[in-house]
Amino acid sequence: MPEQEPWLTALFNEHLGGVAKSVLDAVGYKLEDPTHPWATWMVMELLVVAFIVVLFAVLRPRLSVDKPGGLQHVFESFYSFFQVSTEEAGIHHGERFVPYFGAVFIFILFMNLLGIIPTFESPTMSASVTLGLAICTFLFYNAAGVKANGPAYLKQFLGPVLFLAPLMIIIEIISHLARPLSLTIRLYANMMAGDQVTGAFEKVVPLLVPVVFMGLHVFVAFLQAYIFMLLSIVYVSGAVSHEH
Amino acid sequence: MAKKVLFLAFAMMILLAMPTFAQAPGGAAPASDIGGGLKTLGFALGMGIASGLCALGQGKATAGATEAMARNPGNTAAIRTALIIGLALIESLALYMFVVVLTKSGA
Repeated sequence: MPEQEPWLTALFNEHLGGVAKSVLDAVGYKLEDPTHPWATWMVMELLVVAFIVVLFAVLRPRLSVDKPGGLQHVFESFYSFFQVSTEEAGIHHGERFVPYFGAVFIFILFMNLLGIIPTFESPTMSASVTLGLAICTFLFYNAAGVKANGPAYLKQFLGPVLFLAPLMIIIEIISHLARPLSLTIRLYANMMAGDQVTGAFEKVVPLLVPVVFMGLHVFVAFLQAYIFMLLSIVYVSGAVSHEH
Repeated sequence: MAKKVLFLAFAMMILLAMPTFAQAPGGAAPASDIGGGLKTLGFALGMGIASGLCALGQGKATAGATEAMARNPGNTAAIRTALIIGLALIESLALYMFVVVLTKSGA
């Protein structure tokens, strides 16, 4: 179903189509539409990354202990929010994980909010993006567990009693694999549903009712970013604090 | 005065929705396509069950949260946080069904 692509994607496809195609050819990926190698979500995701880089490049020189500016206050409140969330989960020495949780929250939040602006689309509306984020979290919490506990990290897969181990291993592996799956689908479905519902109401009553749903979409954007971060915290705390 | 304004606003919205009746009926499934019809029925029933059970769960969560807030108003912020997290996680279960509908419909 070829729908009209956003102007930014069209711009990328026009001018940078050759670059994308050569990269994809080098990897051996078959394109279904060779004239449009840039997918919308890829373009939007790069836009969010560029925005965040610019934002932090502007913030860094303005950081000061004596005379904090407005931007510093905003980000200090963000940081204390991440720190409090991490402390509530009770991770041993939780401060070393706060950068990852903060990065995940800010990235997902900006990606979700990008869809509110007309002619832009949330990259999190595509399952590829949310899967990538979920895999990052999956690798992160497993790596944190292995680093904190060593090879004994695998002992938690065996369950409480040793003779139940064969059964417990299967159950634990399935439940661990269900985590990135549920993270992916939760974020993807929330963003997609918000867009679909707004679109459906726009077809019926284009005047004021979709505004209500866009407001709901903003709330859901914040909430889903927070939920993703919170679940990452919970998974890391489960992996790290096992018999520590 | 406020009631009059509200009534007029609703009447405006309904009047603006009138043009939808002028649309020609489009996209009716052919009569012999029982597979497509059953698929749509499956989606409708499944989505209805998922949303209904999700609503029940969220109602119970909200009821527990408001009762706890009434018993211990000092704890309101923590209870509200737990409520919002619980509601979002229950909501996502209904959305899994929506994902099935989205990925499987249109074929």
